[in-house]
Amino acid sequence: MRKIVALTFGLLCTGAAHAQVDTVRATTLPPDQLAEKLYNSGVAKYNQKSYRAALLDFDKALATKPEFAKAYYNRATTRYELQEYQPAVQDYDHAIQLEPTGTSYFGRGQAREALKLRDEAEQDYTKATELQAGYAPAWYYRGALRFEKADYQAARADFDQAIKTDPTYAYAYHDRGSTQRQLGNYAAAIQDYTKALVLQPDLLPALLNRAATRRRAGDLKAALVDYNEYLTKKTDNAVAYSNRGATRYEAGDYQGAADDFSKAVALQAGYAFAWNNRAAAYLKLEDYKKAADDASKAIALNPQYAEAYLNRGHAREMLRDAGGACQDWRKAAELGLEIGKTYAANSGCNGE
Amino acid sequence: MQRPLDLRVPTSANRWGKLALTLCGFLLTLTTQAQNVEFSKDRFGNDKEGLKTAQRELKEGDGWYDMDPSRYELALPHYLAAQKFNPDNAQLNLKIGDCYLHSGFKPKALAYLQKAYKLNPDVDPTIHYLLGRGLHLNARWPEAIKEYKAAQPNASSKDKAAWAADIQKKIKECENGQQLTRKPARVFIDNAGAGVNSPYPDYGPVISADESVILFTSRRATSTGGQKDPETGGFFEDIYQSTRLPNGQWSSALNLGAPINTDGHDATVGLSPDGQRLVVYVEDNGGDLHESELRGTEWRKPQKLGSRINSRGHESSAAYSPDGRTLYFVTDKEGGLGGRDIYRVQPEGRGPAQNLGPIINTPYGEEGVYLHPDGKTMYFSSEGHNSMGGYDIFKSVYENGQWGKPENLGWPINTPDDDVFFVISASGRHGYYSSFREDGLGSKDIYQITFLGPEKPPVLSQEDQLLASRAQPVKETLLAAAVPIATAQVTILKGTVTDDMTHQPVEATIEVVDNVLNQTIAAFRANAQSGRYLVSLPSGVNYGIVVRQDGYLFYSENFDVPAGAAYAEVVKDIALKKADLGVKVVLNNIFFDFGKATLRPESTAELERLQKLLAEAPTLRLEISGHTDNVGKADYNQDLSQRRAKAVVDYLTQHGVDSNRLTAAGYGDTQPVAPNTTDGGRQLNRRTEFKITGK
Repeated sequence: MRKIVALTFGLLCTGAAHAQVDTVRATTLPPDQLAEKLYNSGVAKYNQKSYRAALLDFDKALATKPEFAKAYYNRATTRYELQEYQPAVQDYDHAIQLEPTGTSYFGRGQAREALKLRDEAEQDYTKATELQAGYAPAWYYRGALRFEKADYQAARADFDQAIKTDPTYAYAYHDRGSTQRQLGNYAAAIQDYTKALVLQPDLLPALLNRAATRRRAGDLKAALVDYNEYLTKKTDNAVAYSNRGATRYEAGDYQGAADDFSKAVALQAGYAFAWNNRAAAYLKLEDYKKAADDASKAIALNPQYAEAYLNRGHAREMLRDAGGACQDWRKAAELGLEIGKTYAANSGCNGE
Repeated sequence: MQRPLDLRVPTSANRWGKLALTLCGFLLTLTTQAQNVEFSKDRFGNDKEGLKTAQRELKEGDGWYDMDPSRYELALPHYLAAQKFNPDNAQLNLKIGDCYLHSGFKPKALAYLQKAYKLNPDVDPTIHYLLGRGLHLNARWPEAIKEYKAAQPNASSKDKAAWAADIQKKIKECENGQQLTRKPARVFIDNAGAGVNSPYPDYGPVISADESVILFTSRRATSTGGQKDPETGGFFEDIYQSTRLPNGQWSSALNLGAPINTDGHDATVGLSPDGQRLVVYVEDNGGDLHESELRGTEWRKPQKLGSRINSRGHESSAAYSPDGRTLYFVTDKEGGLGGRDIYRVQPEGRGPAQNLGPIINTPYGEEGVYLHPDGKTMYFSSEGHNSMGGYDIFKSVYENGQWGKPENLGWPINTPDDDVFFVISASGRHGYYSSFREDGLGSKDIYQITFLGPEKPPVLSQEDQLLASRAQPVKETLLAAAVPIATAQVTILKGTVTDDMTHQPVEATIEVVDNVLNQTIAAFRANAQSGRYLVSLPSGVNYGIVVRQDGYLFYSENFDVPAGAAYAEVVKDIALKKADLGVKVVLNNIFFDFGKATLRPESTAELERLQKLLAEAPTLRLEISGHTDNVGKADYNQDLSQRRAKAVVDYLTQHGVDSNRLTAAGYGDTQPVAPNTTDGGRQLNRRTEFKITGK
């Protein structure tokens, strides 16, 4: 979604997808156009993804013409691409000072987000929507920030605006779907994910999220259809296998679940969730030794993993290791799963 | 012999099974199947010696088998010897099957019965019934039902209706079994180990509430008198005791010796929660219950319980309520609801024992009653309700003035055979009973059941990338809803009572008082030898615990156990003080309103005790003192403690105590008995106490 402004000379046209065309006509400009030439050279290099070279051109343009707002803007954008966020913000500051536009605020918002300055970023997106209400990404990104703050009502309003502004905005549909899901409106969420997939069939996360939502809505069968479709298109995603496994588990297909979790750990041996989940499936399959081993693996990958302690506690109880079980349940409680305390108390753990 | 459990049906299928067998024996020669092999010279001409031996074994077996009543356990070894010689005789297979059906290892019957049927489908008119039994006892429910349905009562039998009813009941039991085995109880069942069990029959376990002591019946070789019962061939029953070792194992069991054990049968029936009173079964007057008390390390000679309990019928099982005031027992005396029934009686009270009524008692047998120390949960065995065969163990909770619907403890605790004489610890975590199992040390053994409670749901984790523009996934934990877990609602208070100076055990009386009702609920006695005591405090009461012994000042402790409080075990060692000058005693059951010097009504019992103490020792002079923690201002605390001490003095003088014998002192926070840094410490410091200032 990066934009870069280019001045066009004659028929010079910015064909690159990243660039936005500005319609300043060179013929109306004064004869000494060194800064503009350097600037346009920078744009061309940017479009060729030669960011360092582009940066030099913008530097020179600004040395020649210190009040060149667009050059500040483009240098900021280039620095953003080079992940030099702090200098990027400074350049956007200059650009905004010289010429406050919606895109400048939006750009600074992006850079500030990259610096994890979420509140400041949100303010910039707000300013962008005020200056340029028809710019869908500003609504979208503010919506995403609000989503991350768990302010789902406000996020949904922003995604609504983004969609209103750009009815082909697949991401906005997708994220509105997620917002609806968080708000418990599963039917609306499924509808949005479906629309996102129509607009952008390769937006496969929509398939995963629709599956998860269908599962939450209790339609395990439809959820499995989505997971299956995803996994025929993309076979290297450990998360997808793990999530399908969890759905199979919920449907009572513990062996099928264990198979999926096995695929997940084969693809990504460091994926603690899949180890933990396979432990849960083995518990159901009453293979307590394997369950304890898998939970241990998950704990080795993440020593703060409360759920894995809880599951290992269950396995150890059945393996007649009462002391170990008590220790695990207590650890789970210590890490936030309060129920561990109840298990320990009700299982005759000493000192409860 | 203790409490024989007969697998009796309204009319003995076994009896006319036997008649039919005789008849068949005659017919067999005519209908012999190709596979059936007779014990005849035609077949075994080459091994005349072997045949002769086998025929002799058969004859000996038949001698026991045809006896009235049949002596299956004595017939079986002879039949098995004959079977070794010729395994393909339908009749012999049938008889071996029948012997096993009447043994401790009933499931073994099936293979022989099936073989008998295979060798000759007409081996016996009751073969389908017997096959039904064999399958039933192996928990092969649908097949058993099929056989029972095929077992048509003999049309000429005058007991046809009774047999038909029996078949219907057995089918129902199989249906119950099918249902119960679908959702097994989450338990571990472990052999209680070599400390308790022997190669001989070990059964009838009874435990103290805290599982520190187990008493049980055994027919091992160390039996008092060393004699065998001529009727059954086994050693006479004796009672043994074992204690829990620090490593969790049971110590090597010791014979309780005289006067509990005699040359005859002596069997455990019930033990009070504190382990100080034992009910034993004595084969006398149709089967009676006797009670013995533990004084120090000696069990007193058992005394026969009164005529409100013992009848000419068969009394076979008993359990104390946690306050020791009610005895639940089993009798088959007339006037019950059918078979053996459970009754309750207050041995100290009046009036006849009461039948627990149709919610608990059925037209079939009830046995093995046990009351949990929470005072409201009863465990018992029944052949009725939804038993899966024979006696099953049930649990019922007394609520709102009546017993709740009995709940089957489920498979694998209960089996198609008899499951009886179950006891459970106060924590509800462990149960004990006896069972024939393949992993036993021989014959019947005592097993410990560990209750794991409802399934603990595993927890899965999942993450989704919820924002299309973000790579950061959102984690969610799929946590199944927590299930309510019922825990035993009782607090066990135990410890030792000693002399404060000599540290010697004191055989003190422990009174449990309901402070709100100002009523003594129960009284127990600490063991003279060890000073040990144990009381069960069912939740929902503010308890005053008063420990007293002649020559000592009373000691009072307060236990407020709110309704719904989970199981807890509290150890409280108590040192009793003599009435010497300067001795101080804390009055733990005097309560004031917060920040005030108004005595709460729950204090009455304690105040009356104090009043009684002063009446009994007319020369005694006391200083009553109030103490606070260090929260708040010192002069406020001093004033409050002074006013509170005075309130106690005022109560006593108003109730006839000469005011010259009493002084009131307020010490505020100046005499702490614990650091004021914790809640517990501060609570100990907020107290009313008395000091002896003259005697």
